[in-house]
Amino acid sequence: MTSNAQRLFACGDDLITITVDNPVDAQKLSEYLRLSGEWHEAVAGIDSVVVQFDAALVDLHSAMQMLEGALAQDFIGDDRDDSNYSDDGLVEIPIVYGGEFGPDLDALCDQLGLTRDEFIALHTHDEHRVDMLGFTPGFAYVDGLNETRDVARLAEPRLHVPAGSIGIADGRTGIYSLQGPGGWRLIGRTPLTLFDAHADDPFLLYAGARVRFKAIDKSDA
Amino acid sequence: MSIRVIKPGMQTTIQADPRIGSRHLGVPASGAADPLSLALANKLVGNALLAPALEVTFVGPRLRFECRAQIALTGASAVAELNDEPVAFHETINVSAGDELMLFPADVGARVYIAFAGGLIADEVLGSMSTYLPAGLGGFKGRALLEGDVLQLGETAPQTVELQTPEKFRPPITARWMLRACRSVETSLLQDGQRGVLFNTHWKVSRRADRMGLALEGATLKVDSDGRLPSAPVFPGAIQCPADGVPFLLAVDAQTTGGYPRVAQVARADRHLIGQLRPNDHLLFLPRQPDEAIDELRAKHDFWRQWLPGIETVI
Repeated sequence: MTSNAQRLFACGDDLITITVDNPVDAQKLSEYLRLSGEWHEAVAGIDSVVVQFDAALVDLHSAMQMLEGALAQDFIGDDRDDSNYSDDGLVEIPIVYGGEFGPDLDALCDQLGLTRDEFIALHTHDEHRVDMLGFTPGFAYVDGLNETRDVARLAEPRLHVPAGSIGIADGRTGIYSLQGPGGWRLIGRTPLTLFDAHADDPFLLYAGARVRFKAIDKSDA
Repeated sequence: MSIRVIKPGMQTTIQADPRIGSRHLGVPASGAADPLSLALANKLVGNALLAPALEVTFVGPRLRFECRAQIALTGASAVAELNDEPVAFHETINVSAGDELMLFPADVGARVYIAFAGGLIADEVLGSMSTYLPAGLGGFKGRALLEGDVLQLGETAPQTVELQTPEKFRPPITARWMLRACRSVETSLLQDGQRGVLFNTHWKVSRRADRMGLALEGATLKVDSDGRLPSAPVFPGAIQCPADGVPFLLAVDAQTTGGYPRVAQVARADRHLIGQLRPNDHLLFLPRQPDEAIDELRAKHDFWRQWLPGIETVI
């Protein structure tokens, strides 16, 4: 059992990272810290939360103590309440795999020892959860593709990844919401819009959402 | 109460206060890349320090005023002309209807700020009027200005006071910068001696430099990373290093999470300087403990508060 103080690490003069065990804990802790109103930002990662505090008013030591107090509140550990992760519908994500949309698919299949069809069957087989949003508005980190846990990000990230691109890294699928730089191995593209600034709700997906990938032809995209 | 864009410049956007509280949805802070210069410009025209104003990147716009206005210029070193006559930075400028402001390319520094008394009318999205270009949020239709755009000014009481920024409050604009920086989460992944390389190298800003981040040249860092770190939150001022050893420095529009090792974090007091870095500028990181950096931040606030009350909301 890690003590709460050992979970904390200053990563700047106004930033503290908190190590947690899994993405669900990260979401719950970050939401609790956001609602407390005591932090400029509280952002979840896959296995961590980083808070930004107002260093003009709060010392690092005081901020650490506030976090230890928050961590003592049972937000991590025991009876995990998964009510935020209720079944509010399955989102189907259509994907055109490979070709110009998935330039890394063949190399990835080689690395995994799978044919392209086997990989697509694997990727579309199970339901998955969105672990978190991050990176750019609406970019979704989707869990649970253990076969790809040894897939590394590109050593040199691409400068231009198109919106809708589907990437693989570190056992996860990432859905690029906007055109921009990126380092995940690209396997395909979805015609869905992940982020629409002009919609009432700009985000298609949220942390906890259930998704399933579906292979489509380029002519359907 | 309008201003017509005759030439837009290279990338001219409306910037104001940062977009706080949406990072967990992947929405970055945005706001002025150099918020201190934005505040200095707004001060000269009687606005709130982070009122919406124009951020000009390298090559400035040509603007025609269709009303009287008071404006001010701050930031990078550039020549400005009003009706073909030179006008000074760091002082209130009175403009008449029909006047044209021309801003020539910056020769030192990256960004000029043009503030207008009353501020610019801008779209507010997720609590901020700042433009975030990658997602088309805020500012003027979520985009950089184009030829023919018409900007609207906010209402203001006629201001009679004309101000000049006192000499000691004019930030030096240079091609050689020093940024104080603290350890970050994956500093320990730097191999033996590499922390010395990070803090002793005279880094050069590469051509890959924008509001999202800046790649650095001058050395490659050896990190113990296989490219499979769990994605984790990142903030402006983070210095990350992919496996190729070429570090990059995150800026105001940077992604909110990332998976490359975070090897250092520029201290809050110096993050505003990142907005003036341009390709080929030289850059030295100075190591600081977090407590030291916080003391220095507060000392910097004490200094700037004499001219800019409320500075702690700016830098």
